[in-house]
Amino acid sequence: MSHYEVKAGPEAFLPPAAASMGNVLPDPGEAHIGGKIVPEEEAYEKAARMVLGAKVPTIFPGPLVLWKWNDHVAEEAKAIRELALEAPMRIIPMADYRPKYPKINQEVEINPNHPNLTIWHNKIDVCIFFGVHCHMANLSLKMIRGGTNCYTIAMCAMAGDEDACLSFRDADLKMINKLKATIKKLKSEGVESQAEPFTQFVMGRSGTIVAPA
Amino acid sequence: MSKEKIVLCEDLADVMPPEYHELVESATFGNQDRGWKDIGSSKELIEQHSLCAGCPESIAFRYILASLPTPEDTVFVGSTGCTSLVFPHVAVHNIHSLFGNQNAVASGLKRTLKSRFPDVEKDVVVLAGDGATVDIGLDMTMQSWFRQEKFTTICFDNELYANTGGQESGLMQKGFVAKMAPKGKNFEKVRLAEIAREAGCAYVAVLTVSKPNRVEQAIKNAVLVAREVGPTFVQLYTPCILEIGKQSMEGLDEMKDAESIGGRFVQKEYITDEAQKLLDSIKEETKARKQAAKKPVNA
Amino acid sequence: MNKQVELKNKRVIASNHVKLGQKNQKGQTYTDINDIFYKAKQTPNFLTGSEVIRAAIKVASVGTSVAYPITPQSEAAALIGELYAEGYVDEYFRGESEFAVMGQCAGAAFGGHRVFTTTAGPGTLRAMENFPMWAGARLPIQVCVTCRGINSPLSIQPDTLEMYYLLETGMLIWHAETAQDLFDFILKGFIVAEQPDVHVPIAVCCDGFFVTHTKDTVDLPPDDLCLTPYDPYRNPQPVMDMETAPIRMMRDPFIMKSNYISYATHASWQQEVKAAVERSRKHTIPLLDGLIDEENTDREILIVGSGTAVSQAREAIRLLEEEGIKAGLVKIKTIRPFPYEEVRQATKNAKHIFVPEFNLAGWLAREIKANIPDNERVYVGPHVAGGMTMPSEVIVEEIKKHLGMEVATRGTLG
Repeated sequence: MSHYEVKAGPEAFLPPAAASMGNVLPDPGEAHIGGKIVPEEEAYEKAARMVLGAKVPTIFPGPLVLWKWNDHVAEEAKAIRELALEAPMRIIPMADYRPKYPKINQEVEINPNHPNLTIWHNKIDVCIFFGVHCHMANLSLKMIRGGTNCYTIAMCAMAGDEDACLSFRDADLKMINKLKATIKKLKSEGVESQAEPFTQFVMGRSGTIVAPA
Repeated sequence: MSKEKIVLCEDLADVMPPEYHELVESATFGNQDRGWKDIGSSKELIEQHSLCAGCPESIAFRYILASLPTPEDTVFVGSTGCTSLVFPHVAVHNIHSLFGNQNAVASGLKRTLKSRFPDVEKDVVVLAGDGATVDIGLDMTMQSWFRQEKFTTICFDNELYANTGGQESGLMQKGFVAKMAPKGKNFEKVRLAEIAREAGCAYVAVLTVSKPNRVEQAIKNAVLVAREVGPTFVQLYTPCILEIGKQSMEGLDEMKDAESIGGRFVQKEYITDEAQKLLDSIKEETKARKQAAKKPVNA
Repeated sequence: MNKQVELKNKRVIASNHVKLGQKNQKGQTYTDINDIFYKAKQTPNFLTGSEVIRAAIKVASVGTSVAYPITPQSEAAALIGELYAEGYVDEYFRGESEFAVMGQCAGAAFGGHRVFTTTAGPGTLRAMENFPMWAGARLPIQVCVTCRGINSPLSIQPDTLEMYYLLETGMLIWHAETAQDLFDFILKGFIVAEQPDVHVPIAVCCDGFFVTHTKDTVDLPPDDLCLTPYDPYRNPQPVMDMETAPIRMMRDPFIMKSNYISYATHASWQQEVKAAVERSRKHTIPLLDGLIDEENTDREILIVGSGTAVSQAREAIRLLEEEGIKAGLVKIKTIRPFPYEEVRQATKNAKHIFVPEFNLAGWLAREIKANIPDNERVYVGPHVAGGMTMPSEVIVEEIKKHLGMEVATRGTLG
């Protein structure tokens, strides 16, 4: 059975949607790596290794986890922060989906209409999507694959994203913590983070308080 | 949603751009007495826009957003046109679907929100241009009034199709030379306010946006009457300075001229008895509430 | 394909809805779709297609239905009104035109309701601008299309030409052959269309009059069971109810006004809608028992069809069999997604493929020709249109003629 491999790009001026190439989403308990269906366990290991092996690993939290619109997302936000600290990874928010004029500040924001700008600017080579609505996530993931060499990991709360290089499904608090635990375990086994030293930026009321470095 | 739910997750708040913090901290969500006077002293619900410099539509947008009684439970329906360049930047859920179907979308939306949230007053407000309201969408505009759909329709009347470059519209004044009216428009400006009254609107207001307090009152009246009584309609003159050959600083003068005696936009209101009764009682309640707030609390 | 989708136990979409097992205000129990079809006792009923639509909607937990009269769906739309009066549907009203109706349906779906409507022929075309809007906005509205003629001179009679116009709207398009299909497709259609990875509108099509106005025996589950209600928060896009994050949200933004790359956003958006249609296969295959049905596809002569053309073809095959000519049958149930692989496999042994259709455009034949090797095997026809019936004898004649066999001359006085 031949299948379309979802790899880091740059792939094409307009890469195809993986679903249109015949890629099917994982069932509960499964994930996909490059379009290949694997047990969820295998995906934790792969995702953790990709994060640790990256120079600029970054988490892109979306509106569903940035806004405290119910109680459980606050716990997820906390877990995202802890995951970032453990790896370490940078955090750059996808605060909104609106086409911001004239464009976003690519140093501290990512926007689904031109996600490549943030990735190019910060030289992000591995990213994790969490809390982004599936439709907007798939748009971004496809454009990232089209124009950048970033390896994309989707922690999708629903059925998963075939357009990511690696995707979990039914992602929740437990899964974020499990990914964090897997990273911790690998580190204890001697896998070192290749992340370039950085300072996580902090935003204040009138702009950046701590600049990214 | 309750104002308390408009907050950021603490653990990720420090990476969020400043405009979102401002929205949480100093917007007037949940403030019973919100109004146009908050502009300048609190966070506005419109973040930015790409309208022309000096466009009266942009100030109209700001007054309306500042005047909504409960923006935290309001959903807008827009239509194609200049307004749809602003809506993505508005901190109230809003829908653009097609050109002219705004009152149809709002009908389905309002009924659904009423059915899903029977105990919460969810306001639906249509905001569209005159092409959408009167020309391509007149059928759906009027039918929603006939059916007594309980939402507010606001028409930004700039008397032409602005976003496509200044073509004749039904609300254009007779004789005006425009694209697609090369010899001048040969029929009168459609009397939409009277149509609205006859079609069953409980509250109708026509005015310019030169005076923010008047805009605030009209919007509040329209939304509150739509909750309790029936459909409401507000027609606002927001001249397209670009297409009528004015400078960016001349919008205000144009509106003042149009609302002076004999002008096309002399302020008028049509209010049914039922709506008037409601507005009077709201006025009384507000007065009593404000007086009570002023009284010193007895120890 | 990275994974074979199988028909395992016909149960892939296990519902874990919070309301499962609870009762609604009419005393119906919210039940998993699998249990409704495969566990509950099915009882035969003798009903018209319109009555079947009513029976399906009675147990479909529909939030909003908007109606407008146009033959041949008027009766069904009015029957849903009765359900509303009885309390089985939350909101119902008559719109002012199909264009408005589909806008009203969109508003209801944006607000988080399960939405059902019906239309036909000229109504479908009047509503047309809405369909790609629904799909682009990821609204899982169901429209039942009872096909009739669309062109001048006016015809209220069955003709499936309007389905051709629907093919590239981004909707799921299923074609019911019988009243039983219609019942099954309506209920299963909601479940598939509302999957968060699919979440696009669905057109459940049937041939007007042939299905809507004739009586047929239909097995129905007990009507004290009903589908679990739509969960608007299992959605690939935010619900427009001001109850969800993010706060600043337009459905759907004018992305072309952003900057240079936003055209790529629009292209990706279109791809994503197509992808969503493709994703529906996984949920549809177990529920519909495959996207196609096959009978004797090892034979050299095959008839491939959809809708009532399949029923006529089945009878034609019986008549051919009487003359010693053996033919197989492929019934296509989903036009979108199109069962490319299934049709390729099913037709691989065929030397002659006939595609009878109730329209003159021959859209199904074109789809098949575009997707199988050696497509000169496809014979485009026979066709009828404008309300003509397609007697099985006509299919037999056309097949025999094409194969160079002798056909009795028709219409001569004996």
